[in-house]
Amino acid sequence: MASRNIAKKSLKLAPVLDLNEATALHERLLTLKGAPIEIDASAVERIGTLCAQVLMAGARSWEEDRMSFTFAKVSDAFVKTTQLIGVDVAPLMAKEI
Amino acid sequence: MDMNEIKEIFFQECEEQLAELESGLLKLNDGDRDPETVNAVFRAVHSIKGGAGAFGLDDLVSFAHVFETTLDCVRSNRLEPNQDVLKVMLKSADVLADLTNAARDGGSVDGARSRQLIKELEALANGELPQPAAEAPAKSAPAPAKAAPAAIPAPAVNEEGFQPVAFSFEDFETSEPPTIEPSTFEILFRPKSELYGKGNDATLLLRDLSRLGEMSIHCDMDELPALGSMNPEAAYFAWKISLKTDKGEEAIRSVFEFAEWDCELEVTLAGGNHAGAGDELPMQPVPFDLSLLDEAMPALAGAAEDDEQVAARQREARDEAVSAASIASNVLQMAQTARASAENARSAAPASAAQAAAQQAAASAATPTIRVDLDRVDRLINLVGELVINQAMLSQSVIENDTNGTSSINMGLEELQQLTREIQDSVMAIRAQPVKPVFQRMSRIVREIADMTGKSVRLVTEGENTEVDKTVIDKLAEPLTHMIRNAVDHGLETPEKRVAAGKNPEGTVRLTAKHRSGRIVIELADDGAGINREKVRQKAIDNDLIAADANLSDEEIDNLIFHAGFSTADKISDISGRGVGMDVVKRSIQALGGRINIQSKPGQGSVFTMSLPLTLAVLDGMVVTVASQTLVVPLTAIVETLQPEASAIHSFGASQRLISIRNSFCPLVDVGRILNFRATQANPVEGVALLVESEGGGQRALMVDAIQGQRQVVIKSLEANYTHVPGIAAATILGDGRVALILDVDAIVAASRGQSLPEMSLAAAG
Repeated sequence: MASRNIAKKSLKLAPVLDLNEATALHERLLTLKGAPIEIDASAVERIGTLCAQVLMAGARSWEEDRMSFTFAKVSDAFVKTTQLIGVDVAPLMAKEI
Repeated sequence: MDMNEIKEIFFQECEEQLAELESGLLKLNDGDRDPETVNAVFRAVHSIKGGAGAFGLDDLVSFAHVFETTLDCVRSNRLEPNQDVLKVMLKSADVLADLTNAARDGGSVDGARSRQLIKELEALANGELPQPAAEAPAKSAPAPAKAAPAAIPAPAVNEEGFQPVAFSFEDFETSEPPTIEPSTFEILFRPKSELYGKGNDATLLLRDLSRLGEMSIHCDMDELPALGSMNPEAAYFAWKISLKTDKGEEAIRSVFEFAEWDCELEVTLAGGNHAGAGDELPMQPVPFDLSLLDEAMPALAGAAEDDEQVAARQREARDEAVSAASIASNVLQMAQTARASAENARSAAPASAAQAAAQQAAASAATPTIRVDLDRVDRLINLVGELVINQAMLSQSVIENDTNGTSSINMGLEELQQLTREIQDSVMAIRAQPVKPVFQRMSRIVREIADMTGKSVRLVTEGENTEVDKTVIDKLAEPLTHMIRNAVDHGLETPEKRVAAGKNPEGTVRLTAKHRSGRIVIELADDGAGINREKVRQKAIDNDLIAADANLSDEEIDNLIFHAGFSTADKISDISGRGVGMDVVKRSIQALGGRINIQSKPGQGSVFTMSLPLTLAVLDGMVVTVASQTLVVPLTAIVETLQPEASAIHSFGASQRLISIRNSFCPLVDVGRILNFRATQANPVEGVALLVESEGGGQRALMVDAIQGQRQVVIKSLEANYTHVPGIAAATILGDGRVALILDVDAIVAASRGQSLPEMSLAAAG
C-alpha cells in the first residue's frame, strides 16, 4: 500500500467537540492530509454532529487517498454518541482494540 | 434571573402572542388570505406551546398542540379558513387565553369547553366540516344562521402534497382512551445548516428522542462531501429513525420543538407493530443507556451503570438541570420568534387590507421596545410632578421679586417652563399604551354574548392604537365590557327581527377610539333598535324616578338608563342582568374623570360616547377660592360658569336656593358651607356659580367666591399622604407651594342632597 512508506500521524481529540470546535478540527485534519492518521478519541467527553461530520468526511478523504484513518483509542462517550447518531465507527477502529 | 422571572417573561410574551393570534384570526375572518397572516397565527400558537412545554404546563401544551395542528392544515391549504372554521378558531383562541391565565394565576378553566373545542379542532384537522351532528353533541348554542359556504376542499389523504400531520392518525381512533399503545414511528430528520447556526445540535435532539423509547437509527451521509470541499459548519447528515414508543407522536414532535423551522421533519406511523428495523436501510440500534452523554453532569457517568434506581434518580436530576438551562434559551427563542413575526408583519403588505389597516399594523409592529418595571415609571412620573411644582414655585417667586419682564432670568424661566412641560408630556407618554388589548378583549366578549343570545354580531374596532395612560386602560375594561354586553344583549335585535326590519341579519357593534382635545374619546355604536323611549319612560315612572306627567326631552329619557337600578330587560338575563346597571358604568367612567353620554335613534341604534382624560396623574382644573381657601375643581365636571344675578336666585324651603338658568331651575350649592369652611351661606351674587354635572346626570350650581384661573395640576393622593377627607378627591401643590384640595364634585352634590359627607363613595383620583 502506498501508505506504508509514509510516517503515520496522530491526532488527539479535545474532550469537548461541540459546534465551536468543528472549524478548528476541520483545519487541523486538512493539515494532516497526505499521511495515514491515527486518532485518539480517548479523552472525548462530548462530540456534536458537526465534528462527527468532519471526522467522517476525513475518513472518506483518507479512504479516497488510500491512506489509513483509524481510531486508536476511544472513550465511552465517543462510542455512545456515534452510536446514537448512527455513525458506525467500528470499521475504523484500529485492529488491536 | 430566577425561574419566576423567566416564567413572568414567558407570560408577557404569551399575552403578545395571544394578541397577535387574535388579530390574525380576525383578519382572516375579514377575508384576508395573506399566507403571512396565517403564518403569524400559526407562529403565535406554536410559540406559546413551546414556552409552555418548557415550563411543563401540560394543559396549555396539549391544547395548543391540537390548535396548532389544525392551523397547520390552514397553512398548508388543506383547510379553507371560512367563517365556520374561524368561529371554532376564535373560540379556541379564547380558551388558549384562559389556559394561559389559569397557568399564570392558578385559576380554573372550563374543562368541558376546552375538551369540546379540542374535538372540533381535531375534526377540522381531519377534514370534517364544523359542527356535523355527530361531532358536536354538547353544543347548546344555536346553529349558525347561514349555511356553511363552499365545503372545505379536504383532499384525500394520499393525494400528492399531503404532509403527515400530528394527530391525523390518532384522530381516526378518537374513541380510544388517552393511554397510547406503544407504536413504531418512522422519523425522517434532515437538519438545515441554520439549525447548527443557532446553536442547536442534532446530537442533543437525537439523544432526547432516544429517551422516548426503543430507537434504531440510520445516518444518511450521502450529502457529505470530501474534507477539502466541506463547510465544517454546514449540515450534511440526515437521519432515518425508527422509534418504538408509547409517548405518541406529540412527544416526538415536541423534541424538535425549537428546531422545527430549521430542519425537515417527517413523522409517520410505521405499518404494523413490529419494532421496525428498516427493511432496506441498515439501522443501528441506539444503546439504551445514554446517560453519560448528558453534558450537564458528565462526571457521574461511571457510577450509574449498575444501580438502576440510582441511575434513574440521577437522570431525573439531570433532566431538571438540563430543562432549566434550556428554558432560558427557549424563552429567548420565543422572543426571537415573536420579533421575527413582528418583522414579518411589518414587511408584509397585505394587498387586500385597507391602507389604513396596513399603516396601523406597521405602526404597531415597528419600533423596538424594552420592558420596564411599572414602579420605575411611576417613580419617574412622581419626580417629574415634583419638578413641575418646583418650577411653578420658582416662576412665582421670580415674578414676585422681579417686575421687569424682559430680564434674562425671566426668559430662562420661560424656557425652563417649556422644557418641564415637554418632559412631563414625554414621561406621560411612557405610560401611554394603545387601547388595543382592551379592545381585543371586547371582541371575545362579543363572541360569547352573541353565542349566548343567538345573535349574529360583528365587532368593528377603529383606532385601537390610540394611546392612553395605563391606569386608565386598566380601569376601562370593566365599564366597556358591561356596555358591550348591553349593546349586544339589549341593543341589537335578533336576526329574525333584523331581517323583518330590512336590516342585515348580522348586527354591527363599532368600537372606536380617538384623541380629541387632549382627551381620549371612546365610542360604542350599535346598529340595533335604539332605545325604546316609551319603555324607558314607563319604567322610570314605575320606579318613581320621574313623575308620570314629567315633560322630558328625548335626550333626558335616554339618560334615564344611567339611573341606579334601571334595567329595561323584561326578564333578568344571564348576560346583562347581573344587578349592575348603566349607573355603575357611568360612575366608573366618572371616577376616571370621564363623562359618558348617549345618542339614540329609534330603529338605527345607539351611540355611547365616553370622554376620558389621557392620564390620571395630572388633571386640568379650575382653581377657585372658597372662604379664602384655594380649591381645584376638575374641569371635566364643569359645564359652564356664570355670575349669578340677584333676580335669578330663588329661595326654596328653609335653606335651599335655586338659580334659574335659561328657564330652568338648578339647585345652588355653597361649597364653603358644605365643607364647613363657613358657618352661614355666602351671598350668591358676590360669588361665581359653576354649573356642574354629577352622577345621575343632575346639574348643580356650585357656589365659589372667585375663580383664580385654570391650570394643569399634579394629583397627589390624600389617602396615601394624609387620610381620606370627605368631599375631597385628592390634593395638589400650587406654584406658591401651598397645598390645594381637589374637589370631589359628586360627593359635594350628594352632600347637598342631604346625604352626609363621610363615607360617600368618592371618586378618588390619583
